[in-house]
Amino acid sequence: MSGYVPPTSTAAATTTTSTGEGRSVDYTCGDCNAAVSLKRGEPIRCRSCGHRVLYKQRTNRMVQFEAR
Amino acid sequence: MPPRPKKPGPTEIGDAAAKAARKPRAPRGSKAGDATAPDAANPSQSGASDTINVKPAKPSTTAESSAPAVPASGETAQDAPRGGNNAVEETSSRPAKPTRKRKEQPVPAAKDDFSNLLEPFYYGKSLTDPINTATDKWNLLPAFLKVKGLVKQHIDSFNHFVDVELKKIVEANRVVHSDADDKFFLRYTDIRVLKPNRIDEDNKDMKYKESNITPNECRLRDLTYAAPIVVDIEYRRGNRIVRRKDIRIGRLPIMLRSNKCVLHGRSNKDMGLLNECEIDPGGYFVVRGQEKVILVQEQLSKNRVIVESAKGIMQASVTSSTHERKSKTYVILKKGRLYLRHNILNEEIPIVFILKAMGIQSDHEIILLVAGEDTIYQDQFAPNFEACTRENVYTQQQALEYIGSKIKMMRKPSGYQRRNYQHEAIECLATIVITHVPVFGMNFRPKALYVAFMARRVLMAMHDPTLVDDRDYVGNKRLELAGQMLSILFEDHFKRFNHEFKMNIDKVLKKPNRASEFDAYDHMHLHGNHLTMGIERALSTGNWNLKRFKMERAGVTHLLSRLSYISAIGMMTRISSQFEKTRKVSGPRALQPSQFGMLCPSDTPEGEACGLVKNLALMTHITTEDEEDPVRKLVFILGAEDIVSASGYEIHGVGAYVVFVNGTPIAVTRTPKKFLTDFRRFRRIGRISEFVSIYINHHHNGVHIATDEGRICRPLIIVERGRTKVTARYLKALRKGTMNFDDFLTRGLVEYLDVNEENDSNISVYEKDINEHTTHLEVEPFTILGAVAGLIPYPHHNQSPRNTYQCAMGKQAIGSIAYNQFTRIDTLLYLMVYPQKPMVSTRTIELIKYDKLPAGQNATVAVMSYSGYDIEDALVLNKASVDRGFGRCQVFKKMAVQLKNYANGASDMINAGARDATNPNHSKIGGDGIVEVGMELAKDDVYLLKATPANTSIYSVSGGANPHGGGGEWRDTHSSYKLPDPCYVDKIMVAENDNQTRIIKIQTRQTRRPELGDKFSSRHGQKGVVGIISPQADMPFSDDGVTPDIIMNPHGFPSRMTVGKMMELLSGKAGVLEGTQQYGTAFGGSKVEDMAMILLKKGFSYSGKDYLTSGITGEALPSYVFFGPIYYQKLKHMVQDKLHSRARGPRATLTRQPTEGRSRDGGLRLGEMERDCLIAYGASQLLLERLMVSSDAHEVDVCEKCGQMGYQGWCQACKTGEGVSKITMPYAAKLLLQELASMNVKVKLGLGEEFPSG
Repeated sequence: MSGYVPPTSTAAATTTTSTGEGRSVDYTCGDCNAAVSLKRGEPIRCRSCGHRVLYKQRTNRMVQFEAR
Repeated sequence: MPPRPKKPGPTEIGDAAAKAARKPRAPRGSKAGDATAPDAANPSQSGASDTINVKPAKPSTTAESSAPAVPASGETAQDAPRGGNNAVEETSSRPAKPTRKRKEQPVPAAKDDFSNLLEPFYYGKSLTDPINTATDKWNLLPAFLKVKGLVKQHIDSFNHFVDVELKKIVEANRVVHSDADDKFFLRYTDIRVLKPNRIDEDNKDMKYKESNITPNECRLRDLTYAAPIVVDIEYRRGNRIVRRKDIRIGRLPIMLRSNKCVLHGRSNKDMGLLNECEIDPGGYFVVRGQEKVILVQEQLSKNRVIVESAKGIMQASVTSSTHERKSKTYVILKKGRLYLRHNILNEEIPIVFILKAMGIQSDHEIILLVAGEDTIYQDQFAPNFEACTRENVYTQQQALEYIGSKIKMMRKPSGYQRRNYQHEAIECLATIVITHVPVFGMNFRPKALYVAFMARRVLMAMHDPTLVDDRDYVGNKRLELAGQMLSILFEDHFKRFNHEFKMNIDKVLKKPNRASEFDAYDHMHLHGNHLTMGIERALSTGNWNLKRFKMERAGVTHLLSRLSYISAIGMMTRISSQFEKTRKVSGPRALQPSQFGMLCPSDTPEGEACGLVKNLALMTHITTEDEEDPVRKLVFILGAEDIVSASGYEIHGVGAYVVFVNGTPIAVTRTPKKFLTDFRRFRRIGRISEFVSIYINHHHNGVHIATDEGRICRPLIIVERGRTKVTARYLKALRKGTMNFDDFLTRGLVEYLDVNEENDSNISVYEKDINEHTTHLEVEPFTILGAVAGLIPYPHHNQSPRNTYQCAMGKQAIGSIAYNQFTRIDTLLYLMVYPQKPMVSTRTIELIKYDKLPAGQNATVAVMSYSGYDIEDALVLNKASVDRGFGRCQVFKKMAVQLKNYANGASDMINAGARDATNPNHSKIGGDGIVEVGMELAKDDVYLLKATPANTSIYSVSGGANPHGGGGEWRDTHSSYKLPDPCYVDKIMVAENDNQTRIIKIQTRQTRRPELGDKFSSRHGQKGVVGIISPQADMPFSDDGVTPDIIMNPHGFPSRMTVGKMMELLSGKAGVLEGTQQYGTAFGGSKVEDMAMILLKKGFSYSGKDYLTSGITGEALPSYVFFGPIYYQKLKHMVQDKLHSRARGPRATLTRQPTEGRSRDGGLRLGEMERDCLIAYGASQLLLERLMVSSDAHEVDVCEKCGQMGYQGWCQACKTGEGVSKITMPYAAKLLLQELASMNVKVKLGLGEEFPSG
């Protein structure tokens, strides 16, 4: 039977942490609907109205729904 | 006479409402008048009266007054389709309207559309309609709900706490002294609660800026919706007295819609802007993003004497409760003698000694006070004096000495001196025994009288056992609301706050010389947010742990259930009882006659909490505390004589009645009836609070006045000289908006009665029943039901358990939650895609606005047998209906992730770099490491790439600060979607909470159509699962070509006797055909006869049965089929969430048996009873396979010699491999042996041949 298997995830420390650093992601403000682009580590806050709830924008990839 | 104290909360609401109501109402009136005109012309058509047919009215009045059920908000009244035949008349009257409309348009625009619903007159009534008091008095109900009712008690209670109670608590703990410096003092001069704000706004600077925080932001960001508590202080610094204002001492969670809430007094339009639902009742707290309700708690009333006989021992007990102390005192009857028992006393003390100690020294006076001149009572009481001679106690001194010697020692005697028994006894009697009767200046007389009255009650009960009190009587109960619960919590924390503060300053003041001048203000903030955190923790866990009252109550708060709008409402009106559930007594669970109109008779859960959890009826209010002093003054003004100066002759003489205020005797009157009516008159003209109750108890010859909090009461119309005080004139004023409910109160037309006073009144349900003895008239009979039971149409025609079942199921129905349902991200949210309001409505539905947030659909139902897939309550669904969206619902789920900050400065992060392009599970992740919005998530798809620092301890190798990422190692802690059924990512929210922790909430969506096994229910406790989804072609059809949405098996009717369901079908069908809303209001509603008339007129059978043709054979069905619309609810139990199977799968580590439960992919249990079956049948091999082979079979080596387990063919005990054989046994059994061995219990296994040769 299966013996002790060391958890694999511990060993797999991520190496590529830097790629996400400079990228900014676009969000939408929950209050004023303005687009907010945030970088890593920036406080979550709308630049125009100061609201602190942001929503991720919808993907522009194609999504296919199954109509039932 | 002091004027009635103006209550801030309700009055303000009332004022606002009055202002709103005073706006010109002309356009609505006139239009509605027009609209109703055609109806009046067609009396038979609209004869389908929506009024609660209280009294068979003349046809003409019915037509006019009933004018229909179209909401009267300006345009709708006009545009709503009327009955078919009216169409012509209506178009003819149209040309005139536009001109008028244009002129008046601005006015309706300014009004809130939905507020019309709460307007007293909205059923197309116009100002000119004649008013019939018998049928129109129900209009008081919406007017009442505008001011009080349902959730208002929570809000009122909280307001009372914030505005009054808070100040009282601070007043009681006003000064902080120091032990080290007797000159020092700090005094609180005022306390206030400000408007809610965010914590960072609060900390910035002292200047308070208006915050734009909303409750919804708190929900989304997991904040606590709280407001700062500020105090004004003055204290001594050096030689001067310093005053400071607005010192923050903590934060108080704010109840939504209370007068401190930002939603208070906002219009419905603003509610939308604040992302709040205007229909949402409020009355709960938002604590760490969760909505928490403090349930109403039911308790035996405090400070009242209750006589009970437990196990043959008669006793009178009273639970005294003051701000300082809580204690229980008994007067018990033992072997014909009366004793006083109290926890502080080592043993029971003869009642005579207590009375003597309280200064009533002569035996004659004692017997007069207790027994009066009644020889029977005197004889019963006389033996008590024997104790005097036995113990040699005759004087007050001797009595005090005796009592003092029986007092339990509180603290160790200081050693050098003997205990002074007399002083201790005085101290004890004055402050500990019956604390709620205060002793001023050594005047023990009131307290002695109280004890005497308790003794008398026992004597009376001894003589006549029917005088024993009923603990379950609602009048002996008090309801504890949010305000009271918070008040004791705050008091405890405030005292601790002061104590810690004192400790702090003591520490500094003890030092002989200080570097700088001592400023106590600097020390106020040292112990930071204990107050804030304490209250917040109590609210979010529901654990009320108060040392002072030795109170440890768990489960005080609950998460507000947002399954549906009804479940939320139902939760706000719920009352939980303090009785333990295991007790096998039926008393507390039984329906009490005194519940009438106060607690809903139908709405209670089934099972263990049955009858213990109750719900408020529609028209109830729970009182808040009123001041006692003005009432006491009034008692004397009304001619009652002070009881302190009265002797036993006067108190118990013939015709003398004792006036009790909150259970304490204060006066004697010889004209109780006059006193009562005079007192009531003062209340009716508003000189004392409307919630002060007064009633006569003829058994005890007492007039009882109650001003305490927590009494349930309800409004009733006053009847004088056989006539109702509410006349057409006043109803007209109500309709016009010149009067509101409070005006009815102050004019003495309506008054609140609590249970005790209600019991003392003659209340007529209908106006026709009023006779010369009647004192009050019921506002509306259907208000005896609660909000949840009010959804049921024709509940008075159902078997009563069915209504109870529906009350439980209505809370599980999928529908709409609130207007802001899409802006809030709930953990679990069920929504119906096409909810409909019911065809057959009730008054309650409209009052609680269930028709605005409905949970169900009007399904066309054929009651017939079909296909055999409909046995045992299964339903047949029409496939075409399902395709068109019948019963379709959406399920939203939340997956929340917090990026934690660790103590060493490191924090979690989203690691977009970890995205593996080759891994198909990562394909839906976006560039930011979070799944893309709109993507379909299937099982095992990763939706968030999170990395956790490997080293999170403060004592890291690098030491101290560990800036995140700086050389630290990271561990991937990705989150993946676990459920078998796919979903779509609906919304992703990122925000920060109070501690600057980043939170990511991912909302997923599934759209589900009904499938086999999904649960549906009508509104009559008739639940069923989908048995088959049949193609429309195979469904039966009527001669109009109508096919049913649902086919229901007729066997559901005979045994359940849900006649209301049949009536709903009938009324619904008539309503559909005529295009009107029909009503199934309890004790009223549309009459079956009228419905039959409509059906007949429309060419249908009066019985509601239709001729159907089989869709399968094309032949006519051999009998007529009961056919029409019934409101069906889809319940939250869906097959998709329950479907589960497993062949092989995970096992629990400890026992190696399969895991349990669907969420862990667990096995299917062969339980004890199934096991019993197999044993009984003798299927031993099957048993072995099920219980061992397929579960946790395990091979062990057992030594034949010693019977112990070895390993690898070797017995460690015998040091031999001989006679060691392998056997298979359950791993759990092996585990048991080893566990026993670890406890020094040796278990031997005896081996035998499996197939013995002999």
